[in-house]
Amino acid sequence: MAKKSSLHQQRSRVGIIFATPALILVSAFLGIPIIQAGYFSFTEWNGIDAKWLGISAYIQEFKNPIFWRVLQNNGLLLLGVPVAILFPMGIAFLLNEKVAGWKIFRSIYFLPTAISWVVIGMVSMRFFAQEGLLNELLKAFGLGFIKTDFLSSEKGALFAVAITFVWSMIGTNSIIFLTGMATLDQSLNEAARMDGAGNFRIFRSITLPQLNRFIQFSFIITVISAFTALFSLIFVMTGGGPGFGTTTLEFFIFQSAFSRGNFGTGAMLGVILFLMMAILGIGQLLLMRKKDE
Amino acid sequence: MRSRKYNPKTVTVFISMCVLAVVMLYPFAFMINTSFKSKEQYFGAPGRSTVSWVKLFDTLPVWKQLLNSTLVCAGAISIILVVATMAGFAIAKMRSKATPIFFLGIVGAMLIPLQSIIIPAYINASKLNLLNGYWGAIFVYAALGSPFATFLMTSYFRGIPDDLVEAAIVDGLSYPKVFLKIALPLAIPAIITVIVLQFIQVWDDLLVGLLFIQDPAYRTITVGLGALSAGRVTDIPVLMAGSLVSAIPAVVVYLIFQRQLVNGLTAGIGK
Repeated sequence: MAKKSSLHQQRSRVGIIFATPALILVSAFLGIPIIQAGYFSFTEWNGIDAKWLGISAYIQEFKNPIFWRVLQNNGLLLLGVPVAILFPMGIAFLLNEKVAGWKIFRSIYFLPTAISWVVIGMVSMRFFAQEGLLNELLKAFGLGFIKTDFLSSEKGALFAVAITFVWSMIGTNSIIFLTGMATLDQSLNEAARMDGAGNFRIFRSITLPQLNRFIQFSFIITVISAFTALFSLIFVMTGGGPGFGTTTLEFFIFQSAFSRGNFGTGAMLGVILFLMMAILGIGQLLLMRKKDE
Repeated sequence: MRSRKYNPKTVTVFISMCVLAVVMLYPFAFMINTSFKSKEQYFGAPGRSTVSWVKLFDTLPVWKQLLNSTLVCAGAISIILVVATMAGFAIAKMRSKATPIFFLGIVGAMLIPLQSIIIPAYINASKLNLLNGYWGAIFVYAALGSPFATFLMTSYFRGIPDDLVEAAIVDGLSYPKVFLKIALPLAIPAIITVIVLQFIQVWDDLLVGLLFIQDPAYRTITVGLGALSAGRVTDIPVLMAGSLVSAIPAVVVYLIFQRQLVNGLTAGIGK
């Protein structure tokens, strides 16, 4: 008995020692900075001296029309999310037919996941330019009158960023759904077919419910990407412009701090972004818990 | 089986997949095509040339930046592997009352977006003099990668039966020995997944490198390229040659370790 308890003690002691380096690393570079961001969000801060403003720092920012403009851009980007989920779902169905060469196609679709946003942005910029491929394609389809440099107008530039974003999510989301389809119970389909259910009915009542958690997962990944993964793309493609046309919250943080020197405002925007993502993450967790019960 | 070749549905599916493949491969085709043109040829003059490739290696320290990228990746991944395998093993197999605190503190940090901490982290790093070499970026990458890596390692170690660990302990091995001799060798697939995921993440990153590597001599290839494009370099063929060079290592890793990458990606779906 004594031996067992000392073994138990040894186990928890070594366990704590083993887990501590990771905790220190994460605390030093993520945990402490997020607390600092919380503090500095209430101040006017130039990186060296901070002046306490309290809640009025937030009130000031909420009165800033540019802040709302930036959030609106985020909102508009979210319109791409359903496309970035449904289109890959269709692709996964195609892949799941397993016709000749499907594994090669799968690799090709997932390939852009390996390349950086910097590279994607540089190519995409040329694709949407005045003399770019998109305008040529439009012309070929008799839509030449639309011809425009998409990146030179606010709406066009945001559209270009959104399309590029959706394109780059195709690989990830297709793979998620393909994984999901491997878990489908085929006998359910057959049973339903025996009962006279059509293709659409089977899809809606049998396939979709089974794919539920994969849809949720791809939704979360896509929304998180839309909010936090597009910095490099915007940096390379549009620099946030024209005007504030493609400035999203994450890009606005960078601009506020490193272009304008308003570190306090940058910290505050960072806190707002964090809260939004935390609510999303916790909401997702609760939803999953509820299902489990 | 043979008849499926002539099945109209199969043919339609196949053609759609080909069209989509063209859409997904377009950037690569564009980069390759454009990089073998001079500036004049890009704007319509006929012919091809390797001028832009020569120019790329003249204007950008490509080899040095590839080396920088490799060093930063190696540094960050090493740190991640050490802390995440240890923490994962501790959380999965050396449970105590403190375990949930460690799990929440480490894995919960996944919820923190980089942009939310980047300003204080940048100021801290500059005060600690971490911005002059590779270390600032390495530590930030390591901290950003550790939460998910710990999550992956924890779920992997949970799959190892408790009895296996207990038996080794009863045989007189200490916990660190069990970790090194039994758990780590068993976890090699998960370790490879972590390496591949993190390699692509760090290799492709711009923001951290841009801020935490102040001396241009230490810049990674992705940051070098990003800075070049932000400087509004108008020599597009040179930029495309550079893009290609920066993309190749990650693409090669992807082609070799595709399955591990997919495993890492789908690990978060849970049961």
